[in-house]
Amino acid sequence: MAVVNVTRNPEKSLKNGYLATSLVGLGTTLKTFTKQLFRLEESNTVQWPEVEYKYSDRFKGAHFLTKRPDGKVRCTACFLCATNCPAQCITIVAGESPDKGVEKYPVRFEIDILRCVFCGYCEEACPVDAIRMGHEYSMAGLAEDKWVYTKDYLLNREAITQTLGEKQVSEKDENVKHDSVESGLPGIHRK
Amino acid sequence: MSQEQSVQLTVDGREVSVPAGSTIMEAVRKLGEIEVPHFCWHPGLSVAGVCRFCMVKIEGVPKLQIACNTEVREGMAVDTIAADVKEAHKWALEFHLINHPLDCPICDQAGECELQNYYMKVGKYTSQMDEDKVLKPKALDVGDTLVLDTERCILCSRCVRFEDEITKTSTLGIFNRGDRAVIGTFPDRRIQHNYSYNLADICPVGAFTAKDFRFQCRVWFLKESESICPGCSTGCNVKVFQNGNSREYFRLKPLENPEVNGHWMCDYGRTQFEHLNVKDRLVSPLGADNSALSWSDAAARFGELVKSQAGADNGKVALVLTPQHTNEEFSAIFSHLKSQLGREPEVFVWREATEERDSFDGILFRGDRNPNTRGLEDTLKELGVSAKECSGLKDVGLSQAQLAVVLGPEVERAYPSLETDLAVLREMPAVVYFGNHRSQAAAGLSLRVPTLVFTEKEGTYVNHAGLKQTLKANARVMPSLKSLTEFLGGA
Repeated sequence: MAVVNVTRNPEKSLKNGYLATSLVGLGTTLKTFTKQLFRLEESNTVQWPEVEYKYSDRFKGAHFLTKRPDGKVRCTACFLCATNCPAQCITIVAGESPDKGVEKYPVRFEIDILRCVFCGYCEEACPVDAIRMGHEYSMAGLAEDKWVYTKDYLLNREAITQTLGEKQVSEKDENVKHDSVESGLPGIHRK
Repeated sequence: MSQEQSVQLTVDGREVSVPAGSTIMEAVRKLGEIEVPHFCWHPGLSVAGVCRFCMVKIEGVPKLQIACNTEVREGMAVDTIAADVKEAHKWALEFHLINHPLDCPICDQAGECELQNYYMKVGKYTSQMDEDKVLKPKALDVGDTLVLDTERCILCSRCVRFEDEITKTSTLGIFNRGDRAVIGTFPDRRIQHNYSYNLADICPVGAFTAKDFRFQCRVWFLKESESICPGCSTGCNVKVFQNGNSREYFRLKPLENPEVNGHWMCDYGRTQFEHLNVKDRLVSPLGADNSALSWSDAAARFGELVKSQAGADNGKVALVLTPQHTNEEFSAIFSHLKSQLGREPEVFVWREATEERDSFDGILFRGDRNPNTRGLEDTLKELGVSAKECSGLKDVGLSQAQLAVVLGPEVERAYPSLETDLAVLREMPAVVYFGNHRSQAAAGLSLRVPTLVFTEKEGTYVNHAGLKQTLKANARVMPSLKSLTEFLGGA
């Protein structure tokens, strides 16, 4: 272990000590306060909740599910997000899609937001860009609120549909819906 | 050269001796430590040699050969790890993946897919394929139990050979040529036999997927354990798949055992996980009015009922056994009653009235839908008890008994006339019924006690041929459940 020798030099203590530096700091505060009081300088703080701070697009806030161009859910229920989730907060129930070109889709897709640690691993694991983390960050609420985000909430809540609009539709190549291929072979047909 | 002669060869410098006429693949399998990647070769089927994946180098042979269809020779030196062998595996995989859709996220096989596994082990990783993939029919309904995806198929022909050789139903064939070749069913034919789920097992990719497991659970969430199928007296060795977190059972698969079931099991056996899950289970003892009892109350009530019949002059006590429990349980309940009553109870072996006991489908499935018929016979013989075997409980003289202790069937489906038999029991003054079903079939009996199912207990089943097989216990689906011996210990 390294040893630091501290000499008690009264002159140095006065210069670098607690009282002197406190006064220097207070001076800075007073200076900024006065400047901002007379509007000589822009304030760095935001008057939340009246004013909302805009985080960058990379901010990992509340999740949402993206849509296909036809407005249906893009998720294929592959469970990779649920597998990767360190908090095990994602519950998926997969089912046969009524749309023949899609095959598998999530009947239920739920995120227990109280368990979520906002690590973004779900977003990272998703092979089809179906789950993303948005820029909503004020998610406080009362105990009786719904803390399990359902599929409908993740897809269609106002905060998402209004702020994102067309951005919620993912145009990525993966998992595009393709028309079912019919075969001329006897006995081979889609039910 | 006679067939019994054995041949010495070396694989990667390791010596192994196999019977003459074996293939290199069999020699490698016997050695155990080395794996030659393969798709079309299956130990239970004939050799096809179509996937060209199991390339090995043989000393003195200029080109690489396939291990599955090359016979061993004396002094042969096989190399499975040479650089050109690895290169051959890489390229074989690249060709298999040319038209493979790579829809792993929605494919149920993902996680146990041989194509995926080998790709991770020996794959090329950077594809050089620029052309578009050939699109083929997907999600075809080819039978009551299976869905076929011809795009995922790598045309290994295992399924075609299974249909031709094992079930001899020949429903499947390969149609068209070249990159348009697909697996399909013949006109107006569907896969309808009792061994269809085996096709989903042997399919190395996700071309055949089982309808009852489709989209239910990803395989990497499942824990597997070994057990014995309780479906019939064949006693197939099975792997039971259970979700590690929710303790829910999802499926059964065969476990290779050449002495019993080889590589296969039947579709009836595959459904034997349905009664294991908590939603269908009786989880606490019930009284006559269907009210839940604590385990200690139930044990006390059982003790009272038995004690009231103790002594030599008292009425008849019947012990009704079904051949669906382990040898240990049979002797435990008999010995308990004998010691508590001070005399032997009258033992009945309750069998289904409509069963065709000696029927056999020629492959695995037997008409005797009880896993432990032989075990019960042996145990009773060992205990020196002469039991009355009865098909159905009607008119077998149960009505004179004052108390009946019934070890009911674990698989209620094996007893289609359960309802009429239980009606006989309901007319008796006192019945203690051990069963694991939540169903109301046994409602109204004096005392119902939950039992464990085959995956939760240790014990012995004896199959039709007299082979003793032991069960291994998994965690109980409800921790509060008690085994029969634990319950009797408290009574």
